[in-house]
Amino acid sequence: MKNAQFFLMAAAALLIAPLTLRAADMKVIANPSVSAAAVSADDLKDVFLENKDSLAGSHVDPVLEKGGPAHEAFLKVLGKSDAALQTYYRSLVFSGKGSMPKELASDAEVAAWVAKTKGAVGYVSADASAPGTKVLDVK
Amino acid sequence: MKGFRTHLVVAALVCAASLTVHAQDFRLFNRSVQVHGSLSQGFAYSNDNNFLTMKTSDSSPAFTDGALNLSTAVTDKFHVGAQAYDRKVGQLDDFRPQLDFAYGDYRFARWFGVRAGRVKTALGLYNDTQDADFLYTWALLPQGTYPLDLRNSMIAHDGGDLYGQIPLKKAGKLNYTGYYGKRTFDDRSGYYIFSSDLGMPIDSASGRALGWDLRWTAPLKGLTLGSSWIDMTQNRVGHYNEAYFPPDTQYRAHSAPDRTAVGYADFQRNKWDFSGEYRAENYWLSILTPSFGNSVFLWNGTNESWFTTASYHATKRVTLGVYHSNYHVDSPADPTNKATNHIYDEVAAARVDLNRYWVVKAEGHFMDGYGDLYSTHGFYERSNPDGFKPRTNMLMLRTSFFF
Repeated sequence: MKNAQFFLMAAAALLIAPLTLRAADMKVIANPSVSAAAVSADDLKDVFLENKDSLAGSHVDPVLEKGGPAHEAFLKVLGKSDAALQTYYRSLVFSGKGSMPKELASDAEVAAWVAKTKGAVGYVSADASAPGTKVLDVK
Repeated sequence: MKGFRTHLVVAALVCAASLTVHAQDFRLFNRSVQVHGSLSQGFAYSNDNNFLTMKTSDSSPAFTDGALNLSTAVTDKFHVGAQAYDRKVGQLDDFRPQLDFAYGDYRFARWFGVRAGRVKTALGLYNDTQDADFLYTWALLPQGTYPLDLRNSMIAHDGGDLYGQIPLKKAGKLNYTGYYGKRTFDDRSGYYIFSSDLGMPIDSASGRALGWDLRWTAPLKGLTLGSSWIDMTQNRVGHYNEAYFPPDTQYRAHSAPDRTAVGYADFQRNKWDFSGEYRAENYWLSILTPSFGNSVFLWNGTNESWFTTASYHATKRVTLGVYHSNYHVDSPADPTNKATNHIYDEVAAARVDLNRYWVVKAEGHFMDGYGDLYSTHGFYERSNPDGFKPRTNMLMLRTSFFF
């Protein structure tokens, strides 16, 4: 019986681990002009896939990191590989039906851009400093 | 030799640009303007028939295209953009730049927006991105459904779109587009070339397109299902260029209705991508030769095309794929010749992403049949003056740079 409990707990931990890793690896930040304090994972996905351009009534513009752990964690939220995401944006650009979000090289660049740009929403590593931005709670 | 050098220079530019040029933006009237572009060079070698007006049986590098686009957000809701496109594929287009799109787009809400100007036409999975080869595993999209020689008359319309996305909660999302506009024609496209080969050169052509596209992002992760429909007209004025007609005898051809229904599916999961599309076209064509009186030649034509693809991302940089493309003409001009009622194409392809902006592709095409005299799907009399062989094997190489 003890063994069964142990295996059940281990299995549960294995299932939960990827989810907690995602949350632990990055945080979503926004310019203080964005009125939302929290965002659902679906809305976040819609904002970054350019299906939605506002959160809680505020216009938002997504900004991406070119690579790194925060970007890898965020790709899991979007459910796309980096190549598939690039292909998605390029199809919008070359069909005249959308644009490429700004891409920046590091947490520091993303944090600085989000802090100074009205409506900007981005993501950085969970432990990155992002002064002048607010952290959105992802539900 | 001069032509070969041009294509060699393009290939070298593709290599150089991929290492030095990246996406750009600049400020104009306090707005950020995005600049994107692409440049692609292909090479084709076939065993028998020449394909797409290139001399592929001698091996041909006459396959170059490129695009440059600018876009900006004037306000949060209003965006504008334009793209210039240029290509030379055999005798198609011959490096004459075209305005690919130029639009103003006002998005009132997620579920409703209006786009007007020259707008790319939403039809099936890939119509509006058919010339952006770097989006795909393939050097050539399935030619039964996306014939490269008919690109100019299908790619865009001068008019407007109504579009939007409707969230369906747990049932996914539904994207819709409805459009109406004037069709675009180009006198170096396949229509003009095949008509000229028939002894009926076109002097002018016009027409309109009306249609819709519905695309459902299903709750099953990675699955998209869609349906499109288009109703087109085409008015052509030309003259006969055959010995048995008096010189400069004019004809007027009118094609209406010309309707195509489309169903498609795309499924992406882990390292696999699968897609498929089916089209059925039904058109009426009437030809009037005024100098012969009011008698009209009337023709009802139907054809179908479909394809299925599968590709596998073997590594971060390497993708392998296969597809089957099927084009079928129900009533060919010569029903006794079985090679004229279809073009089947079995394709095996490999794509290598050398970096984020540069790809190289190689693919083998194994084609059966060459289609009808009137089908305009790659095989032309002018580039096959000794007649057609029933089968064509072709190697296609292509390298593309994009930013």
